[in-house]
Amino acid sequence: MIELYHVWKQYQAPKWALSDITLHVKKGDFTFVTGPSGSGKTTLLKLIFREILPTQGQIVIDNRNILRIPDHRIYRLRRRMGIVFQDFRLLFQKKVFENVAVVLQVLGIPRKEVRRRVFNALRMVNLHHKMWEYPSQLSYGEQQRVAIARAVVSNPKILLADEPTGNLDPELATEIMSVFKEINRQGATVIVCTHDRELIRHFGDIILFLFKGKLIKKEKF
Amino acid sequence: MLIIFFLEKDLPEEQRISVEKRLKESSLVNNVRYVSTEQALVRFKQNFPELQGVIENIEINPFPASFETNLAEENLSPETILRFIQVMKDMDGIEDAQFNRDWVERMESLSRLAQAIGLFLGGILALASFFIISNVIRLNVFARRDEIEILRLVGGTNLYIRVPFILEGVILGILGGAVSLALLFLLVKFFPLYLGASLGALNDIINFRYLSLTQISLLIAGSVIIGLLGSLSSLARFLRV
Repeated sequence: MIELYHVWKQYQAPKWALSDITLHVKKGDFTFVTGPSGSGKTTLLKLIFREILPTQGQIVIDNRNILRIPDHRIYRLRRRMGIVFQDFRLLFQKKVFENVAVVLQVLGIPRKEVRRRVFNALRMVNLHHKMWEYPSQLSYGEQQRVAIARAVVSNPKILLADEPTGNLDPELATEIMSVFKEINRQGATVIVCTHDRELIRHFGDIILFLFKGKLIKKEKF
Repeated sequence: MLIIFFLEKDLPEEQRISVEKRLKESSLVNNVRYVSTEQALVRFKQNFPELQGVIENIEINPFPASFETNLAEENLSPETILRFIQVMKDMDGIEDAQFNRDWVERMESLSRLAQAIGLFLGGILALASFFIISNVIRLNVFARRDEIEILRLVGGTNLYIRVPFILEGVILGILGGAVSLALLFLLVKFFPLYLGASLGALNDIINFRYLSLTQISLLIAGSVIIGLLGSLSSLARFLRV
């Protein structure tokens, strides 16, 4: 499903953000990526949805080398993914509903269907009662849940989440993870970056340890 | 404007009538008056009594019959007038035409000059609108950067992201065209009133007239194209997806 071959990434010489990463994530896997801050977790995710390009190496998703996809076709790759960004990337001038709906709108889904699915997604993260508020009126944790709802609303084949529970209390974090698990059960491949050991202990199938840009350990339960 | 068409000598009655009919049918002509050879002679004698002797010495009447034709509109273009005269001259029975050629030619060059100035100014203004629209779109692209970024990340196509900006450029163009048409309308309506009599003789030459339907549609089409090009050029430079 997701394959990386000898991927190197350098933002600024001489430090390597990632060095020689080779990994395979199978379809339907639920994978945690963990490691201290600055170990390259976010970089790894950004490479997978091609926000950035690797300095060296190849990335294959669904048997397609994504580095060879022309820019104007990238949308096809991204439409198969749901992404929870570390910094949420919400639109603060738009309401919660619109923030989530945008994913479905670009797919050209009818308005009525959009309303139904957005409502369901927001209910999953327990925010449906704040659908018509602006993100700035929400707490940090609530904003994060909006970002999660946006990532799952289109039932993506691949779900990438960067510290999705970083600002949530443990109970809510567990709830969110259950949402991810559910999506995983429906067939999606999930990759979650986190340093929350508790979560990993609870939910981890496959755990990748990154340290200073190197993949140092892979555990399977 | 008066044009005199001189008829051939001894023109049969039916041919004269057909010439008259033809003149009266023309949309350019306001009224037609027939001046027979006898009338022309009488008129000459009245106007130049001192030359009466000369005329009386000639046995025959040297004056041709003619049609004195007044043109309907003052603001006909010189080309139209010249073309009309040429067509009539080619007709059987008409010997020659007399009109104020100088005036027609002067008008012709004046209108050509006005046209050139108009095209020049129009070109500059079109270019200015192009850059203004292009800049407005660019500012909008910058203002909505976050949104564009998110649209890209959730799988929005180029077209989906660009269409709103293109539409905006086109609408700006149409609005600009409409406003300029309205302003021109007011100008045409009130400028002559404002100038009034001070225009004097020029009033006859310069005729304030609103654009024709074709010109209006051309102007609107032009503004759409300018708006479209303005936004496209901005998007090409600042919205590389």
